[in-house]
Amino acid sequence: MTIKDRVLRFIRRMNWPMIIVMAMALVLGVLFIYSSCYIREEQPVRSFYKRQIMWIALGAVCYGICAGYDFRRLVRSGGVLYAACIVLLLLVLVMGKRIYGARRWLMLVGGIGIQPSELAKLATLIFFARLLSLPEINLRQLKTFFTMLGVLALPVVLILRQPDLGTAMAFIPPAFIMMYVAGVPLRYLLSVVMLGVLVAGLILGALVLTDNENLSEETRAKIQKTIPLGEYQQDRLKVLLWPDRDPLGAGWNKNQSEIAVGSGGMWGKGFLKGTQNILGFLPRSVAPTDFIYSVIAEEKGFAGSAFVLCLFGAVVVLGCRVALFTPDRMGRLLCVGIVAMVFCHVWINIAMTVGLMPITGLPLPLLSYGGSFLIMTMSSLGILQSVYARSPRRLLG
Amino acid sequence: MSRPLNKELVRIKIVAGAMLAGLLLLGGVLWHEQVVKGQEYKHSLDRQSMRRVRLPAVRGLILDRNGICLARNRPSYCIAMYVEELRKPGRREKTVEEVDRLIVELSELLEIPREVDRDDIRKHLRISMPMPFLAWRGISEEVLSRWSERTVRQRGIDVYVEPVREYPQGHTLGHVLGYVRRADPPEDLEFPYHYYLAEMEGGEGIEKSMNEKLCGESGGRLIRVDASGFRHEEMAERDPREGRNLVLTIDSEIQKIAEEVLEDVRGAAIILDPRNGDVIAMASAPSFDPNVFVPRIPHDAWNRLNTDSRLPLFNRCISGTYPPGSTFKPLVALAALDSGTVTSAEKLACPGYFDLGKARFHCWNRRGHGKLAMRKAIEQSCNAYFCRLGLECGYEHIFRAAYRIGYGRRTGIELRGEARGLLPGDAWKRRARGDAWRSGDTCNVSIGQGALAVTPLQMAVLTATVANGGQLYRPRLVMGESSRGELIQHVGWSSKSLSLVKGGMYDVMQAETGTGKRGRIDAVAMGGKTGSAEYGPKLSNGKRKKHVWMTVFAPFATPRYAVAMVVEDGTSGGITVAPRIRELMTGIFELESTRKSGRGTGRGA
Repeated sequence: MTIKDRVLRFIRRMNWPMIIVMAMALVLGVLFIYSSCYIREEQPVRSFYKRQIMWIALGAVCYGICAGYDFRRLVRSGGVLYAACIVLLLLVLVMGKRIYGARRWLMLVGGIGIQPSELAKLATLIFFARLLSLPEINLRQLKTFFTMLGVLALPVVLILRQPDLGTAMAFIPPAFIMMYVAGVPLRYLLSVVMLGVLVAGLILGALVLTDNENLSEETRAKIQKTIPLGEYQQDRLKVLLWPDRDPLGAGWNKNQSEIAVGSGGMWGKGFLKGTQNILGFLPRSVAPTDFIYSVIAEEKGFAGSAFVLCLFGAVVVLGCRVALFTPDRMGRLLCVGIVAMVFCHVWINIAMTVGLMPITGLPLPLLSYGGSFLIMTMSSLGILQSVYARSPRRLLG
Repeated sequence: MSRPLNKELVRIKIVAGAMLAGLLLLGGVLWHEQVVKGQEYKHSLDRQSMRRVRLPAVRGLILDRNGICLARNRPSYCIAMYVEELRKPGRREKTVEEVDRLIVELSELLEIPREVDRDDIRKHLRISMPMPFLAWRGISEEVLSRWSERTVRQRGIDVYVEPVREYPQGHTLGHVLGYVRRADPPEDLEFPYHYYLAEMEGGEGIEKSMNEKLCGESGGRLIRVDASGFRHEEMAERDPREGRNLVLTIDSEIQKIAEEVLEDVRGAAIILDPRNGDVIAMASAPSFDPNVFVPRIPHDAWNRLNTDSRLPLFNRCISGTYPPGSTFKPLVALAALDSGTVTSAEKLACPGYFDLGKARFHCWNRRGHGKLAMRKAIEQSCNAYFCRLGLECGYEHIFRAAYRIGYGRRTGIELRGEARGLLPGDAWKRRARGDAWRSGDTCNVSIGQGALAVTPLQMAVLTATVANGGQLYRPRLVMGESSRGELIQHVGWSSKSLSLVKGGMYDVMQAETGTGKRGRIDAVAMGGKTGSAEYGPKLSNGKRKKHVWMTVFAPFATPRYAVAMVVEDGTSGGITVAPRIRELMTGIFELESTRKSGRGTGRGA
């Protein structure tokens, strides 16, 4: 085979539509990180976009490595990856760097921090693909189901201890979707989901009760104690329940984000012209990270926000297409898991931006500023590419 | 193999469909928010911005027991710059430049000199950007009218009203009330701003110790303004919560008399109601006018107050500690009588001194009192008698009685900075002096000298407890819900000992030979005790400086007032303090009778 043939084969085996979608999202991300930070006084913040480009370069390397590495070997080492991440999560609880009361970062040499919880997302997903595709596994057994739940619960509990409710919650939907696709009986899954809904309902109910004027102060305090959430988490839920309650305090971020989105209109105020952002009404510390979408929505209007939605729609379609055409069960589950994970982040983040969900602090994949999550997302897409490249020709052709 | 595979593929398609539906849902919400609802307030929104206006909480009033106002608020007009709206892109210094330029412009337009410099602007930008930056505070009406005439049309500037604390009684009760000062937001706050933090906080006195109750909680308002500063609509509001009013137990008219009495000296006077521990007056001289502290004390005034050797900022009533001298003797007498080791009838000789080993304790009467019993010894304040009494009953009893009344501990009044005083004992002496307790120490304490140190408030508490028959109340400044006061305990003195000691105190005031006879008034019989406590090194004339005391309760039969008064560097209790007590008590009972007759005529009309 000549070199030319090899190059051609390599190019043919790339999932070009997916790469183009990914590149567009990354470019948008850099542009709007710049837009949300260029007004800031602090020099390091103003150059966030440069650092994001650096992260993208690093992410591209990871993408290449994951794409070149045989995903089957990767999945087979899922157990090791999972165990390593659990160790890292334990480490972060012991010696993590505390920022605003939460230990989420492990500091490496040179002042660079990583968030083990991001790595754990991918590792858990790979381990799940491994377990669910074991030939001897019987998914209809209740015992199997509980084992799977245990595997899922371990990192979730550790991340809750940091505490980081948002990230912990982001683990659950992709895992359930993978189990559903793998063939775990729907009634098992639904009963757990119902249980979750019930608990959430109880918490919301209790929250409403604490606000009931008819009850005595004492009873309300007692009810308050039973709610297993921190005060700021309760505040965020209350903001969702009663949006007009405390617009200058706890409701500030939410209202400002909604105003930013709403004032964008059809075509937006123009790049670098978002007043909500420039005037600092959007909380500065989160504008380039968790609230990047409201910056886009303000400056580029519905056109821009819908375009971003379409990009992620394309990720879903292209990713599921890979899953559909992969003969390998391992690869199929892996693809579904990755797509589900990206989708969950996108959905929760945007729903939070428009006020459908409480503020949880989940980033928007490929667009939000932040190294760990970006590298994790790009590596996941690299794995997707690895699955794609190892599929039979009918998919490629 | 193929059937399960097919099923799996179907499930993947279902999942993909559900995800796309989810994205579509978000798209729908966005369409609604951005295009449908966005049209509603589309007009020139890009030239408008939101302004957060702070609504300060009004601080609670402080009233005296008769409803006379001691602390209130008046509006003060400020020129506020909403820095967020003046922000320039780029480095912070550009914004500082812009704000500075505007201040110069305004100062020319309104003809007022500038009050803030660039550092103030920088500091404000750094720690409290979302709050209005007050470039001028307390502007005069002239400036205000210039402002409205010349209609300053500039984005981000407005007039802002802030409440300013005012103490209408001036000097009166300065130490008790304290003052408020500007509260700087803590720089290390997690949020760069905390909108509801109070702007004023108590700096001293009741204002400080009761700050939580008084301060309330500020609110805020969100309004939409356009480029010219025109207010379009209110977006949201959170009402401020007013601070709670405080009613003090102080009678400000009696307080005034007490302060007048002490006008020319350094000293303190406290009047308690022996029936419940209410502090009716608490005067510390010299005093200060808390109004100079509001909103911020000028540097030279602060230096003057702080370097004054008479310590005008020092609340002697609670923070000053003095040896009590002979005013301590009633407690020694009570302790000795209740110990059962001595009787009141036992006569002890006073040759004018008392020798203990090589040490000689002089009686103030160098010629000696002759043989006297307890009641006479109290009246004459005989040192030789009390030295012997102390040694006879043993220090243990005196220590216990003094400890029970609260000496050496804070009374727990609602003020910060209360001193403990010192009740010396064996343990203390070993620790502080490296020596055991000796008989000489007992003698010293028995006549209220030595290391013993008390605050005037503790002395007033002792007097009140003697006056009311042994009920120890915690002194209180803030009127509670009940008029009963907080009873700490019954001290448990026998009524026989009490009536004897009180009898002695009666003689001090009412007998012709009594040491406190210069404090006597015609209208009401009183009981009391004088005291002179030496301190410091011997002067050139061989004598030492004295803090002079007097404690009094009145009327004798059913006491309603218990007074402790101390004057620093006086001659003696009987000469320096007694005339002041006379002036004070005359004033109080005259006030009572005018109030009574005033009420009488009021009812008649």
